[in-house]
Amino acid sequence: MINQKLVRKIAKSAAAFLLAVVTGVTAIPQEAQASSLPYQPYNYNYWEDIVFTPAAYEPRKIVSGLDFTFEGEPIGAFVTPQDLCKSPTGDVYIADTGNNRIVVVDSTMTEVRRIITTFDNNGAEDGFKQPTGVAVSQSNQLYVADSQNRRVVVLNEDGTLARFVENPQSEVLEDGYQFVPLKVSVDYADRVYCIAQNMFEGIMVFETNGEFTGFFGTINVEISLWEKFWRKLATKEERAKSQLFIPTEFTGIDIDPDGFVYASNIDPNGEQGVRRLNPKGQDVIKKGVNENVGGDLWIDGNTDYSGPSQFTDVVYRDSGIYSCLDKKRGRVFTYDHEGNLLYIFGGLGTQTGTFRLPVAIENIDSDLIVLDATSGNVTFFNETEYGRLINRAVALRYDGDEAQAVELWERVLDLDENNELANTGIGKAYLTAGDYEKAMYYLELGMARDYYSVAYRRYRNNFLTANANVLLSILFVIIIAWVVWRRIKKKKGIVLFKKKGRKGGSPNA
Amino acid sequence: MRKFFSGEKWSYMFYTISHPMDGYYWIRHAERGSVPLAVLMVVLFSVCFTANRLLASFVVNDINPRAVDILYELAGVLAFYLLLCVSNWCITCLMNGEGRMKDITVAVGYGTVPITLVLILSTVISQFIADDEQAFYTLLLVVGIAYGVIMILIGIMQVHNYTLGKTLITLFLTFVALLIIVFLILLLTNLLGMVYNFFRSIYTEIIFRT
Repeated sequence: MINQKLVRKIAKSAAAFLLAVVTGVTAIPQEAQASSLPYQPYNYNYWEDIVFTPAAYEPRKIVSGLDFTFEGEPIGAFVTPQDLCKSPTGDVYIADTGNNRIVVVDSTMTEVRRIITTFDNNGAEDGFKQPTGVAVSQSNQLYVADSQNRRVVVLNEDGTLARFVENPQSEVLEDGYQFVPLKVSVDYADRVYCIAQNMFEGIMVFETNGEFTGFFGTINVEISLWEKFWRKLATKEERAKSQLFIPTEFTGIDIDPDGFVYASNIDPNGEQGVRRLNPKGQDVIKKGVNENVGGDLWIDGNTDYSGPSQFTDVVYRDSGIYSCLDKKRGRVFTYDHEGNLLYIFGGLGTQTGTFRLPVAIENIDSDLIVLDATSGNVTFFNETEYGRLINRAVALRYDGDEAQAVELWERVLDLDENNELANTGIGKAYLTAGDYEKAMYYLELGMARDYYSVAYRRYRNNFLTANANVLLSILFVIIIAWVVWRRIKKKKGIVLFKKKGRKGGSPNA
Repeated sequence: MRKFFSGEKWSYMFYTISHPMDGYYWIRHAERGSVPLAVLMVVLFSVCFTANRLLASFVVNDINPRAVDILYELAGVLAFYLLLCVSNWCITCLMNGEGRMKDITVAVGYGTVPITLVLILSTVISQFIADDEQAFYTLLLVVGIAYGVIMILIGIMQVHNYTLGKTLITLFLTFVALLIIVFLILLLTNLLGMVYNFFRSIYTEIIFRT
């Protein structure tokens, strides 16, 4: 007896020891994943709740003007730089607004290619005054929004002046209109798209010869019924004093290879901070499941830090993916062509990876670079494994290659179990493959109701066809049993339920 | 207890559902209804409502399960039931209504039964429908709710011996009374809170000074 007990005890403690060893071994971290980022990357799920995610992008380095020398001389800090863009050759052009110059650096931002301060204007030396926007065309011409000189300067690759775009003439412009270009962009046909100060009608478009042709992508003002009602009640003086209903201005432009214009704007409702304009100037953006391409969804509150995101620049990257830069909270929001929010990173602050006043964003291959006006520096973000998987999977889906994307989505799920896009992607692949039960499982996790419904319908049809004989037999048996039961009941007068109580409501009945 | 939940009361409740005019009349005049049974029906309604929100299939259900709290909803339904009965009683007292408080509670409580039944049925059916069959689910719910509302309307009409027009007017006034009661409750709690804060600040003042 005692022996048995002892043996059992020893066995028990040995098992406990083994268990401890095993868990101890497996608990050793494979890779330190503790975030060293100054912010916690997050995203919004179907219910518009915040879910924390792995980082899709990580800040790699910060470059400021003090890091550069040109021809042996230090070039000095950038002073309130306002824009940057990349050229087809891979160089990066920075509009160093406060220093009235354009700095051209190579794509890794290690050396300065050239600094443009002056150009030859018909024999006279001419320069920039507060250049706030730069763009490079596909033919490598440089477009500079020379804001205080009220013109867009077009320079050839060798630095000689090609032309000016200035002084737009049109009936739609009021007399004495001052053209102050802030941001500029150029499409494959060398048409110039220009955001001008105090120009609420839309983006100004100039033909190749510099002629102003009209406005593009006008944002309509929405007046609510309530506001209309109050304006009806108000007297003329009150109406004159009240705020004008002015459409929001555009803040940044980018043009994709197909000629669609991505333009960011500040939406006071926080619903749409970016537009995708087709060649007719109509907005054709898709808004995704949350009906929102306006940045943060949680914007309530009365502090300086609350309120809708303010998109100040947008960059079209590849395969329908575009990133928007929010200056309100210093975050970068990335969407796919369906308007799904892919990932969010960045923040306000002074640490690496955060900004004080972000003004422009650009991509260099898979990296993203963000220009900070107050700090006068450029932050490099490079994609992590998580970001790379999402980017590639979305690109495959964009190309219609959903089956190939499954493997990538499964690896995304290893990193981020609750990723709805990944679950939906896998579910859709199972749906096409014909495995409806698995498709239903993943599509429900991905909250893809439409596809789930399709999967369920096919699952149900399969089930009914497979089990038709059983189901029909059961039905047949029930009918027979019922008929037989009625016959017996009639013959023998069996009463199954005795009717209790009175029928009807009246006590006298 | 046996009296309130006897088989006779149960079977009469179902008789009332199928014959609301006659059923409610004798609830008022021959004590055929049961208040505890009516309250139980309201509790069941609340439970089934929550169950429908949680358990209806993914195809028709667009409710965040984290936002559903059965106790919170039960409290809300019971509070609304109480408010509705009290305010209806207040108004009908002044408008020559013949119904007593217990008749009103029974009228409203029995009226929830068809809605409860339909909620259960539609929750089960939702498990078997795909997206474009959603209309059946919605139709079922709408029919059930409409039947319940009509039952409550007939119930109030019969226990007070009103015409339909007068019933509608009293129902409108009932909702006005309901809002007034809610307003008074809010006012009262607010004022009581102020009084509480007053004494509390006196207390803290004394504590800090000594």
